[in-house]
Amino acid sequence: MKVKTLKGVFPIIFITVIVFAAVGLVSWTDSITRDEIEDQKEQQIQSMLTEMFPSMSKYTFEDDIYIIDADGAKVGYAFLAVGKGYGGDIDILVGLNNEMTIKGVTIVSQTETPGLGSRITDSSFTGKFAGLSIDDVALKRDGGQIDAITGSTISSGAVVDTVRITAIEKIKALTERQ
Amino acid sequence: MNRFWKEFAKGIIISNPLFILALGFCPALAVSTSVDNAIGMSVGVLFVLLGSNLIVSAIRKAVPNIVRIPVFIVIIATFVTVVNLIFHAYVPALYESLGIYLPLIVVNCIILGRAEAFASKNPVTSSIADALGVSIGFFLALFIISFLRESLGTGSLSVFGVELFTLPVLGEHPMTIFILPPGAFLVMALLLALFRRIGVMKSE
Repeated sequence: MKVKTLKGVFPIIFITVIVFAAVGLVSWTDSITRDEIEDQKEQQIQSMLTEMFPSMSKYTFEDDIYIIDADGAKVGYAFLAVGKGYGGDIDILVGLNNEMTIKGVTIVSQTETPGLGSRITDSSFTGKFAGLSIDDVALKRDGGQIDAITGSTISSGAVVDTVRITAIEKIKALTERQ
Repeated sequence: MNRFWKEFAKGIIISNPLFILALGFCPALAVSTSVDNAIGMSVGVLFVLLGSNLIVSAIRKAVPNIVRIPVFIVIIATFVTVVNLIFHAYVPALYESLGIYLPLIVVNCIILGRAEAFASKNPVTSSIADALGVSIGFFLALFIISFLRESLGTGSLSVFGVELFTLPVLGEHPMTIFILPPGAFLVMALLLALFRRIGVMKSE
């Protein structure tokens, strides 16, 4: 009888041991890669900010807004905007000048259709944002200044609307803070 | 040693996971848009398959039969998570472009298929040979598909940022359909038919 019970319990013990070993291995990998992954994200943001604000000497991050500093003088702001595209979330880094016009727009990550919607990452599209005031950030058919990419009106519209809506929110938050 | 090479070689051509066994279509269709992705995916599969085959084969005598599938799944999921974290930490660009398909290696039937059909019945060395062979077979298949799709669909071919060639007319007007999902089905179907035909001719 005793032998039989042991036999019945063995598979349960076995799988428990396997699961514990698996959890151990995963947490160990997590502990050695965590810092690296954090660094990676930090570096990505930093290189994007330097590209957007070439004069940047340092930046501070406060309430989801990056405040860009060039040798002691504030040169602008940047923030991340997340919008719904045609194939999932689009993460966009938006830079603002001190006068609250668009300094630049960079697509951080996107999962739009390759070859069509994914052209939102091209500088020929993101370059059109520079210098615009917030109200002009809209597709031409909606009375704005930006041409939609042929064949990917939804993706283009998603980027444009996300940038405008988030920028309005952030500008409001910034003016309230001052 | 002879056995080792036999198990190794069979995975590459005679039982190629994609073209002959017809396993692992989901990731193959999804990530074959560029040669970079094909290489990245194959490295991921190689690491996971090697790890899971090794462990499954090492514990094959101890695993109680009724819990063997859950045990294999746990082992595979562990290796997939480890690969995922390592790619995220050390090759972020590749991690970005493989996207959701990297964690999905866990449901890649090649891995569970090899664990169940081979590693759970064979000693460790043969299982390692099998993992290596199958991974290389998977890579070759994925490479052929992605090579055709990238060069036809974008008109040029670049591997890890190095531009290899640009096709004369297609460079200007690429056949975008080839990097979209329908192109994957087209290329895959034609290649499967081709390999089938070669197989039939050989056996006759």
